Amino acid sequence: MSVFVKIEKGKYIDSLETLYASSVLAEQNGIVSGYVGVGTHAFLDTVRSSGLDSPDLDSVTGNDLVIIAESTNQAAFDAAARAVFASFQSETSAQAEESFVSIKAAVQKHPEINLCSVSVPGEYAYGEVKKALNAGLHCVVFSNNVPLEQEREMKLLAREKGLLCMGPDCGVANINGAALVLSSINNRGPFGIVGASGTGIQHVAAILHEAGTGVSQTIGTGGNDCKDAVGGIMMLMGIDALEADPETKYIALISRKPGDTVLPKLLERIKTCRKPVVALFMGCDRKAIEASGAIYASSLDDCAIQCLKLIGVDYPLTTEEELTALAAEEVKKYAPEQKYLRGLYTGGTYMDEAANAMIPRIGTIYSNCPIRSDWKLEDSYVSRENACVDYGEEEFTLGRPHPAIDPGIRKPAILKEAMDPEVAVIILDFILTPPGHMDPTGFVIDDIKMAQQMAEAEGRHITFIASVLGTTADFQDKHKQERQLREAGVIVCQTNYRAAVLASEIIRQIKEG
Amino acid sequence: MDCEKILNLFRSELITVNVGPKLLATSLEMQGYKAYQVEWKPMAGGDKEMQEILDLLGGVD
Amino acid sequence: MTIEQRVDAANARVLEIMTKSRPVWVDVRPAIDVIPGMTKTTILTPGPGIDPDRVTPPQRTSICGAVLHEGLANSMEEAWSMVERGEIQLVSSQTMNVGNAACMVTSASMPVIVVEDKIFGGRGFAPLHPGGNPKCLRWGLYDEEVEHDLRWFRDVYGPALGQAVRAAGGMDVITILSKTAGMGDENHNRQPAASMCLALQLIPFLLDMECAEKNAVIKHFSANDRFFLHVMMAGVESITASCKGIALSTVMVGMGGNGVEFGIQLAGTGNRWYTTAAPKIKGTFLKPTYKEEDLIGYLGDSCVTEVWGLGGMSAIAGPAYMRLTGSNYAEARNRTEKARAVSLGEHTFAPVPWEDMAGFPVGVDARKVVGYNILPISHGGSALRCGGQGGAGAAELPLGCFKESLRGIYAQAKEIMAREETE
Repeated sequence: MSVFVKIEKGKYIDSLETLYASSVLAEQNGIVSGYVGVGTHAFLDTVRSSGLDSPDLDSVTGNDLVIIAESTNQAAFDAAARAVFASFQSETSAQAEESFVSIKAAVQKHPEINLCSVSVPGEYAYGEVKKALNAGLHCVVFSNNVPLEQEREMKLLAREKGLLCMGPDCGVANINGAALVLSSINNRGPFGIVGASGTGIQHVAAILHEAGTGVSQTIGTGGNDCKDAVGGIMMLMGIDALEADPETKYIALISRKPGDTVLPKLLERIKTCRKPVVALFMGCDRKAIEASGAIYASSLDDCAIQCLKLIGVDYPLTTEEELTALAAEEVKKYAPEQKYLRGLYTGGTYMDEAANAMIPRIGTIYSNCPIRSDWKLEDSYVSRENACVDYGEEEFTLGRPHPAIDPGIRKPAILKEAMDPEVAVIILDFILTPPGHMDPTGFVIDDIKMAQQMAEAEGRHITFIASVLGTTADFQDKHKQERQLREAGVIVCQTNYRAAVLASEIIRQIKEG
Repeated sequence: MDCEKILNLFRSELITVNVGPKLLATSLEMQGYKAYQVEWKPMAGGDKEMQEILDLLGGVD
Repeated sequence: MTIEQRVDAANARVLEIMTKSRPVWVDVRPAIDVIPGMTKTTILTPGPGIDPDRVTPPQRTSICGAVLHEGLANSMEEAWSMVERGEIQLVSSQTMNVGNAACMVTSASMPVIVVEDKIFGGRGFAPLHPGGNPKCLRWGLYDEEVEHDLRWFRDVYGPALGQAVRAAGGMDVITILSKTAGMGDENHNRQPAASMCLALQLIPFLLDMECAEKNAVIKHFSANDRFFLHVMMAGVESITASCKGIALSTVMVGMGGNGVEFGIQLAGTGNRWYTTAAPKIKGTFLKPTYKEEDLIGYLGDSCVTEVWGLGGMSAIAGPAYMRLTGSNYAEARNRTEKARAVSLGEHTFAPVPWEDMAGFPVGVDARKVVGYNILPISHGGSALRCGGQGGAGAAELPLGCFKESLRGIYAQAKEIMAREETE
């Protein structure tokens, strides 16, 4: 086993492409571990900290493409490197059709362009967004790590020009029926959503879709919009736009607790809004929200339910009593030493929602990004007691794309947790989106089955609980994904919250004996 | 606020220019929306001196 | 106006000259009679100016050959020591609006093509293309036979062509390019169509001229399908002559190699060369036994055609040449698209039929080359270390000289800003 390196001088490849290439590399025969990337300091640090190093790395620059891997032999590495280049090749040949060096060049050729999707590294996002806004384009900005000052500046410019600037750090927006960035594909309908939480928008819209209605537009503002430093500029503009939009009959607003100076502005705005507003401002006082005339929502599930009430649709979600009964059934199946749950999440919002649902029932939830700082896992790869891990965190995604796109990051954890004799419940979330994995549940189904078989062989039973965020209109088809899970013996809950309640209720009942 | 441009967007065919990973443009095409790709690279390959020069001389869209 | 706006305005002016000029081949005359600043002891060399101690072996042969041809020395050794002592002055040809292809040099008595830009008034020059014989000064070879040819060019061929082209009232380069659009030439490394079209127009005048060796002249001229290249080089020089010195312009107006260094010139700083180590032409070897070590680096001024949008810039117009560079049609299109991404304008006089009548790009902006990190690809031929042509192909233009050139314009901008501040 040795380390092999291939360096292509002067070949810049976008980071997400190289991330994708890293997963291509990892899949090749004879490759133990490896990375593909552009030779920036950050990349070299990642590589070296993973234990891969080579004197060849000393001379690379931020403009060189590096393939480095631990491999059984040179021939296997060469073959893998060829596969990586082939993945770029297919990329380039598709691009050869028509691609541009700049936004301006694209708009000159196609003046009908009306939206710019920006997902360059954060330090460059401001420059590109300014160019797009100045070219009169609405923007959706997936780039993250943009300084708040720059976020405010770009949003002020957008407001001055009357253009949308969704994001930075906007993962979800549905415009004119198109699922942008990492959104789900949704039916069109009377609900307009403005949200500072991507998962939040996607969650509410997915339930509306499942209930047979849909969304007119969903406007993601990015998670920082309602902070005082940014001032809620896009949230307010979003309300204005949806109020003026004839297709939107009802408005839903979703945010973590808005900043102290922003919340009153939002409430003032809601007061004058001529359309019904459902507001989910997590951690905010119910009375204050209701005083503005908005309908108060207490959670993501509740937000969807309140929306559906407005059109007279009753959408029954499994009740806590039903979940308690279901838990009682499961509790009978375990071996005596089984007493903990392990949550393996791909979405941070979902992990937080789950942890908050679990804590009242079972107390401490260890995590790589815990609710309480003293609950932090020493090693994110080693769980203890009741634990939830967010595989979308940077420590896992450095060098790889988000688990919604490349679910390979989470995959090994399934068997690993199942091998722990103290584990009774494993929770998995799945996110469906056009750029995502084409069959995320199928990708892990064999691991789930094997985990169950191994546990059975040792006289244990593992309960797998899952929720699928997405719709039947998604390419992956929510129902097909759920069916696949159920056929493998997984308990599929309607929502992430319900999955967390069921899991923690099982653990509580085990504890109570 | 004047929402005319946003309402115009809502009334128009969505046509995107994608600055970043091609994957996101492909996703829109798969949904039946037009998307054009900008082959974005850091200005001057990240050369700080050249970036400073180009900040003055301009010409890079 | 901001500096950017002023750079843009200067570039727009350069682009106007590049796209609206009308180069016409008007004459053939001895270099000393027509090239301003030419002297009896001047040898014009290709690419950026070069010190004698760095001159490559084939280039040294052609320099010494020219000195002997001028009768200034009796042996190659003597000629070279005169160069070393400075009695013979080596001058970069493009700084004199002259283009010397490959290892070619221009000396006082050599006949040069004179092209005049009828719109902006610039004049450009180039020696006559030597024709089919691979043994020539142009590829760094010199002996009795080469000297014999040089004399015939000086005494018979040059004057005859001059007479004919004067009688014809000039040969309009743009018309030739327009007529031969869609005939597969990229007009740097491949120009049979343009050469034939030129011959078609000139031969009647050659037939009518007073010349004892009329048949030999016509045979030599009509058998040379690369003749047009040197007319085109002189043509580009006539255009860039009017572009040089338009302050702050970042448009490339000169490029060439001397075998050791490759250089470019920007309109804003006129004849100043920005150089970097010469790349090697990659493509096909003329003999399979040649190896890359046998070749010297990028050499010659023929790539001034690229400055004006021909060659690699218009690769899509001449896809047949791609075979010779070991490449294909898709790459031809890619080369033109790359060039388009860093160019400011487009030629419309020679639309490419298989590209839906699109023109090809002109006016490379150094800002875009560096900013987008997109390097135009030039076509070219390569010389053997021992003299003679080794291969033909293409080379990516080196980023280093573009960066250097931007430093030059940046310094100019800073100077202008400082001067205006004190005023």
